[in-house]
Amino acid sequence: MRSTFFNSIYLFAIVTLQANTPLHERIDGLIREKAVGHSFSGVCDDATFLRRVTLDLTGNIPTAGDVLTFLKDQSPNKRKELIDRLITGDLFADHWMERLSVMLLERLDQGKVTQAEWGHFLKQTLREEPLWDVMVRHMIKANGKGPARSAMKFLGTADHHAMTENVSRLLLGMDLTCAKCHDHPSVKEWKQAHYWGLFAYLNQTRQATHKKEEKVYLVEGLASKKVEFESVFDLEKMSTGPRLPNGGEVEIPQFEKGKEYEKPAEDGLPAVPRFRPRERLAEDLTSGENTGFVRNSVNRIWFLLLGRGLSHPLDQMHGKNPPSHPKLLELLAHEFVSHDFNLKWLLREIMLSKTYQRSSRLPEGVTKVEPDSYRVTAPKGLTPEQLLRSLMRATGNTGQIKALKVDPEAEKFDRKGYFTGSNVELPPSLEEMQAIFIQTFGQPPGEAAVDFSPGVNKSLFLMNDRLIQHWLKPLGNNLVARLGKLETTDAVARGMYLSVLSRLPEEEEKTWVNAYLEKNEQRRTNALGDLAWALLNSAEFRFNH
Amino acid sequence: MKNGNFSCGSSVHGISRRQMLGSLGGLAGFGSLLHPAIARDIQQGKKQVCLIWLDGGISQYESWHPLPDSKFAGPFRSIKTSIPGVHFSELMPHTAKIAHKISVIRTMATKDPNHSTGVPRIQRGDPLDRGVDYPYLGSAIAKLLGPADPDLPPYIWIKPGNGGFIHREAGFLGAQYGALALGDGRPPVHIHRPDNVSTQLDAARNALRQKANERFKAYRNTSDVDAYETSYDMARQLMARKEIFDDEKLNQKDRERYGTHPLGRHVLQARQLLEAGVRFVKVNSYHWDTHGDNFNMSQRLVPQADQPFAALINDLDDRGMLDNTLVVMMSEFGRTPLINSRLGRDHWPDCWSLALAGCGIKRGAIIGDTTRDGAFVDGEGYDVGHLFHTIFSVLGINSRRVHYRHKGQKLAIANDDCEPIKEVML
Repeated sequence: MRSTFFNSIYLFAIVTLQANTPLHERIDGLIREKAVGHSFSGVCDDATFLRRVTLDLTGNIPTAGDVLTFLKDQSPNKRKELIDRLITGDLFADHWMERLSVMLLERLDQGKVTQAEWGHFLKQTLREEPLWDVMVRHMIKANGKGPARSAMKFLGTADHHAMTENVSRLLLGMDLTCAKCHDHPSVKEWKQAHYWGLFAYLNQTRQATHKKEEKVYLVEGLASKKVEFESVFDLEKMSTGPRLPNGGEVEIPQFEKGKEYEKPAEDGLPAVPRFRPRERLAEDLTSGENTGFVRNSVNRIWFLLLGRGLSHPLDQMHGKNPPSHPKLLELLAHEFVSHDFNLKWLLREIMLSKTYQRSSRLPEGVTKVEPDSYRVTAPKGLTPEQLLRSLMRATGNTGQIKALKVDPEAEKFDRKGYFTGSNVELPPSLEEMQAIFIQTFGQPPGEAAVDFSPGVNKSLFLMNDRLIQHWLKPLGNNLVARLGKLETTDAVARGMYLSVLSRLPEEEEKTWVNAYLEKNEQRRTNALGDLAWALLNSAEFRFNH
Repeated sequence: MKNGNFSCGSSVHGISRRQMLGSLGGLAGFGSLLHPAIARDIQQGKKQVCLIWLDGGISQYESWHPLPDSKFAGPFRSIKTSIPGVHFSELMPHTAKIAHKISVIRTMATKDPNHSTGVPRIQRGDPLDRGVDYPYLGSAIAKLLGPADPDLPPYIWIKPGNGGFIHREAGFLGAQYGALALGDGRPPVHIHRPDNVSTQLDAARNALRQKANERFKAYRNTSDVDAYETSYDMARQLMARKEIFDDEKLNQKDRERYGTHPLGRHVLQARQLLEAGVRFVKVNSYHWDTHGDNFNMSQRLVPQADQPFAALINDLDDRGMLDNTLVVMMSEFGRTPLINSRLGRDHWPDCWSLALAGCGIKRGAIIGDTTRDGAFVDGEGYDVGHLFHTIFSVLGINSRRVHYRHKGQKLAIANDDCEPIKEVML
């Protein structure tokens, strides 16, 4: 009864709210509007919030010290202050470089630009005020010249079909793969002409090597006529010029003979045509008027924070798969455009919402909640990179690992042997550890990282991996070494829970620790490792909850 | 997710099941999760498969179809088999004795003469092009039948070289239907608990982990957390049964009967896994690509296939398993009738042989007429699409009615233009 009453007031309130209400409050209003009469989880406690935000913005759990400081902080604005502090830091740029890169490249190392160059491009952009439309424009337009050269990695080797599929799926939320050969069989509005319209923007692009620099550029040839295609079903011949789905066809300009080019061929690069459809795509695609692009952008950003797209799966944005909250999707899209596609602004607003800050514990008396209602926060599985960093930090080994010096003379680490057992060495560097974690916990290259996918091989790894066992031995000043010096089991429980689960232990949990240590008095150090092992292998650690 | 079955009408439950399978080829307790009718079917017939893959292409002339009097013959004689009037190459003495337990198709006529495209094409059953990557046979069976024993992965691949979890064979079905590959017959190292952790200690620390999870789950209800918990249950079950990967336990007599070369050891290991209840076991042997020195190579290689193949058929038969276990031994194509200047035979998809035995397959059927010298099919040959329809059919899967669903597209499980090879089926 009570909740219905409050909901009616709430509804009345949101109707009277005007546009100058901050976006995060309007988000909450629209989420509530969709579930009138249902109860919602409250906002999570401070420790959970700190862990959630630290993971989402910096890709790591907070240190025990961070937790204590945040719990003690009396400022009523401390959540906002935390978000502002983390989002402007370098760790944000490092972590969101990973998040965006995984989303855009799906762990494929494609094209001639190296991962490091591409990472540098993303990081540089993310350190400032990143504007999403500008970033995407660079990725589509990049031809090898100037500082945006690295953005070219998104287009890979300029395979026309791969580019068409990636642009449609990742930037427009439309998996048009089926529409290559015929109109989509089950999604009526996805036409074969959509596929080929995008294709016609990209089919003049190819790689060419700059003779002096010996570097690969992405150049465009002369587009003089439309692209022809036919359906495998009825073999009807069709043609299209460059065209965005639901946009108008771009007329291919015809120039007088000899006037087609702006610049003659030079240094191994071909002549530059006046009309360059890919450059045109960069503009047309990222325009605020291209609703498909804008909706897809906000949907994916929302997904990265909430774990589920408003439109889900992410690449199925069409009439048969309507968004869970259409008004919210429209609002986010509209606001994103009017704030110049400012990525950090949007992240900040979403994170300030109660919707983002809700507890992952069900509201009282409720046993089941549909995931697309956002009435409770859905735990998100940690990414491979988040998991590795969090394990290192939880076990107190970050410093030692970062200090590892790789011997340049040493043989290359046998990673395959690490998994088969023929190599019994420990990985010698952070980079190698990262590769092992990505191989174990990442999605296969070329597949989207959307759903949490546990697996037996992953659980076996966390349970039995040599490296993790090694971290649970007392080394230097790591967790087990530090806890070993503590007198009382209460202090041990406190240190353990703060370091591994980023919160204080509850009374019941203290008794577990107490009982286990008493029982294993003779092997106390090892027993500390056991306790840490149990927590590291728990669901609470594996998820951002 | 790129490989999501969008229009499968996936409810939350559906998603959670898919996720639970995780990426070890669906180690899930299928029995409890599948539609009851399907679960019943699986329990009723514990049909299993062993695919022995001779990568590179075994020569039909030096194995199943010797024609010592033809102009394409090599130096080897043919020998009588246990079927009157049927001869195999003298390089197959063991299999010759059990010919009455198997079937041979001598008129495979396929389309691809290249290894790089031919291997995936054949192992995917060469379906009509639907713009998707079809699963390899093992992944297809893992999807269509699930695990035969809910504690064990449905698809295990024994191969020389490296192992690990091989997802790419699953194609559009998604990584979780990939193969658990035992490199050189060994399971992934992480199946072993560290030496310093005793069973007792492991149980104690695991009890702590479970208590922590109970507490975490108490007020939460998400399929992801449940799936995570399940992946640990399954991992522990697999660790508890790791003896099925332990080839130390195999007896010496068996080792000698199967042969001590890698293929012999691996086929014996396949028997062990089939006995343990693994649904689909693939065994790979490489380097059958005899472009040069075909005859010396065949003399060395063919017996390595002959001996364990015959031993496997006999053992499955003795154990009463043959009627429920399909055994297939094949390559991606045969070899040219014409002997090249390096005394080799090249790639020949036009007319080649393979062997089938067990589950739903006739015993002693030698099928297919070729031209006199064996170079071409006399009449209609069988493509790999026919073979896939046959394999699905004998396993109780109606290859015309059962479809995959992928992004709203209904996809035939085997080539639409083909049908089962009736003359080889019981």
